[in-house]
Amino acid sequence: MKQETINKTIEKFGNSSEHLMLILRDLEVGSGKNVLDVQTLRSVAELMNIPESAVAGFVGFYTMFKTEPRAKFVIRVCKSGPCHVMGATTVFDAVQKHLGIGIGEATKDGMFYLEKCECLGVCSVAPAMMINYDIHGNLTPKKIASILNSYRKKRPSLLESCGDEVAGKACIIDEPRQTKRLIADIGKIDPLKIESYLATGGYESLKKSLATEPGKIIDAVKDSGLRGRGGAGFPAGMKWTFVGKGPVQKYVICNADEGEPGTFKDRILMEENPHLLIEGMAICGRAIGATLGYIYIRGEYRRSIERLQKAISQARDKGILGKNIFGSGFDFDIYIKEGGGAYVCGEETSLINSMEGKRGYPRFKPPFPGGAGFNNLPSNVNNVETLMSVPMIIEKGADWYKSVGPLNCSGTKLYCLSGQLNRTGLVELPMGATLKEIINVYGKGMPKGRKFKFAQVGGSAGGILGKDLMDLPLDIDQPMKKGVTLGSGVVLVCDESTCAVDFLLQILSFFEHESCGQCVPCRVGTAHLHHISKKFASRTAVPGDIDLLLEKATVMKKASLCALGQSPIMPITTMLKYFRKEFLAHCDPNHKCPQCDRSLARYYAGRGH
Amino acid sequence: MDAIQMTIDGKQVTGKKGQTILEVALDNNIDIPYLCYHPRISKTGACRICMVRVNEAALKTSCTEPASNGMIIDTDDDEIRELRRSILGMLLAEGDHNCLYCESNGECELQRLCNRYEVPMPAGDMPTRQRAVDTVSSKGLRRNENRCILCGRCVKACGEIQMNSVWNFTGRGSSTALTSDMFAQLGDSSCVMCGACVQCCPTGALSFQTVLGRGQAWELKKETSVCIYCGVGCQIDFYTNKEGKLVKALGNADGPNEGHLCVKGRFGFDFVQSGKRLTKPLIKKNGAFEEASWDEALDLVASRLSDIKSKSGPDSIMAFSSAKCTNEENYLMQKFMRAVIGTNNVDHCARL
Repeated sequence: MKQETINKTIEKFGNSSEHLMLILRDLEVGSGKNVLDVQTLRSVAELMNIPESAVAGFVGFYTMFKTEPRAKFVIRVCKSGPCHVMGATTVFDAVQKHLGIGIGEATKDGMFYLEKCECLGVCSVAPAMMINYDIHGNLTPKKIASILNSYRKKRPSLLESCGDEVAGKACIIDEPRQTKRLIADIGKIDPLKIESYLATGGYESLKKSLATEPGKIIDAVKDSGLRGRGGAGFPAGMKWTFVGKGPVQKYVICNADEGEPGTFKDRILMEENPHLLIEGMAICGRAIGATLGYIYIRGEYRRSIERLQKAISQARDKGILGKNIFGSGFDFDIYIKEGGGAYVCGEETSLINSMEGKRGYPRFKPPFPGGAGFNNLPSNVNNVETLMSVPMIIEKGADWYKSVGPLNCSGTKLYCLSGQLNRTGLVELPMGATLKEIINVYGKGMPKGRKFKFAQVGGSAGGILGKDLMDLPLDIDQPMKKGVTLGSGVVLVCDESTCAVDFLLQILSFFEHESCGQCVPCRVGTAHLHHISKKFASRTAVPGDIDLLLEKATVMKKASLCALGQSPIMPITTMLKYFRKEFLAHCDPNHKCPQCDRSLARYYAGRGH
Repeated sequence: MDAIQMTIDGKQVTGKKGQTILEVALDNNIDIPYLCYHPRISKTGACRICMVRVNEAALKTSCTEPASNGMIIDTDDDEIRELRRSILGMLLAEGDHNCLYCESNGECELQRLCNRYEVPMPAGDMPTRQRAVDTVSSKGLRRNENRCILCGRCVKACGEIQMNSVWNFTGRGSSTALTSDMFAQLGDSSCVMCGACVQCCPTGALSFQTVLGRGQAWELKKETSVCIYCGVGCQIDFYTNKEGKLVKALGNADGPNEGHLCVKGRFGFDFVQSGKRLTKPLIKKNGAFEEASWDEALDLVASRLSDIKSKSGPDSIMAFSSAKCTNEENYLMQKFMRAVIGTNNVDHCARL
């Protein structure tokens, strides 16, 4: 790469290491071959005054980067749970048929390179793929051919042009029985125009909170019972009180690294109502005394990044962000940080390390981010859905907010429906909807009259729910009593045609791929779990391997540093609770399983797996 | 000092505010096993071996958990032992740990813990990953990552002690590996061969070239000395093998160097036992050096210096001293020049 280009790029973003992600992304797109060659990286290290090893470590951690040339367009085909059950293997087949390349290979003309990847966050239109930064869903062989052909004349750019089917609006289930709060204005307001947001009473809650004492804002959020919507369900108001006090810089950080397979709610919210997030963050800033906010958005969400960037600029122009907001004397501004393809960065301390331009290793706690977060200063990290719930609490009051949802789990929840349903997409329901209601009313049942087999609720880290849990209220507390979790609100439904072994293989290959590798139980454990599940899939396992799965996952649960390594036990135990027989059947070398065969042949062929 | 009272394994112990549980335990001679912790670098919390039970409930890594007043700590019970054994077993299965061929045999921390917890040999049915073996590119250091447990001590030793940051992790998850600089061979990297990483390495993943093939850990004899290269006065533990040859130098933690050494102190000891080393004074007679006694040599120097001083004055003489001498010796040298010879012509190699 030309030295001048590198100089200019670094000049554009600034040479502090916290800008490393954006600089490298820009350079990779500019390379035309989706590559960051060693020479370029050395130059970046020197100009930014970062050790070469730190840049090498950074690039090696984030899967979206590569130091070897790929092609003008990188095709990333999602193989996570929802896409897998909807036929991700057929996408690989179609790409192979059309372009003649396997995983880790490029076409001879240097036009396309094929990779497999984990969740792209468009699970209701699975199977999906991403070409550079454009996501396409509802893929069929015919559609894939026409999409690929359309790229032959395109130039690589950071401006996304995703398929119409992945548009946020299009991913919301059209069903009046919902309790629309967060999604009430979606479709009514133009996400590209601040005037449109202002016309519906936007930023009135911020105005109101600027005239309110910070302690009262926190009290209101506490009273509302709002709990974190990222997966852990920690009371938001209480989290806000943990942020360090005193005259130091504090930060509001929005966790928009939505990576849990099956989750796409935050993407829709950010794409369709970006100003609501800005407003929620500013109110949080006011409450905890933070003057700076960061939104950490996964790198795959180009449209969210673009729309939020636009919204931030518009808000600055209107004086809603910046100095002395609405003449209140309160300063607040927001900047965007991007991810690079790492599920673990959804863990708040990994996210903070990643924001600082480091490998996304989780930090041990304590200290918690509230005491020492970004740049070791007090930081409050909340999920998108959580922060977007704040303005309505300020506007309408805690009692109104609590008026739906069960005690201790108040408010609505965005449920992400994917998998083998007649209707998939996002629904907003009072917290505590049951699987039965979600499947029958909103998902309209299974296609072709097939029978329900199981649902995975909460994402890859979530548990498997069988028929016996159809009436379990899916709020934050009830599932835990049954050994499962609501998590981020994923409801991935699988009908009787799904093989339990094949499904678990995808989950466990996901965890090996996404483990950061820092702590021993998770680094080695995820590799072992994946290996053992592969033995079942290839019918070379023995019954004792079931115990081995449980044993290893138990050690991981007890000893891993962060939630990633502590998670695999849940899908494993709950899957075995229902389908142990299927696992035992797979111990017979003569057992026939076309699904497992297809996965083994597809995902493990070629280079770079 | 804010004192903390706590109970570890039923014993009342005292610690300081700001210490971790592990630090309090170590100060009180309570042995909690660990692999990623090292007193000279910042905390990592990654190996998970040092987990202890806090207040008869949760398991926490003692290397990261702050100690607090009234804590009740159990460092060992059935569950903890089983977890440690499992984690050690995972480490054994991940790499290629064959003590027979390893130069760290006998001083390896992983070996010691596997012995203590009676960890069985891995069954060999789990995937291992081939990592870098670079035994030749650097003159001082050897790297065999198949013996690496990715504890991160080397990364931090280089970054925090030597402040050179040659090492870092690259890759992710089970594909994590070490890199020196930008995917370079160690010998081609910006490594200054201080050896801090090797000294911190708990296994045989990193080792010194000087000791290879020249003795095994338990055969070496240790003697503590002061480095002769500069005025810092680093303390060095020198190791000699059965033949009495110097084979290894480790920084001694009690010296002003707190365990650290530079490339000279670490590797510059081959002259000690060199056959070319001067051991007796030589006087040039008829164009050739001949051995002489110390009396003869010192008499000659004294008479020649007196001659020159009386003929040409004291400022015609200068003394040039060495950084290899101690501060006391250097002090004596300048005192001799000023008080006995009568000149200020004194200089020292370290100024150049």
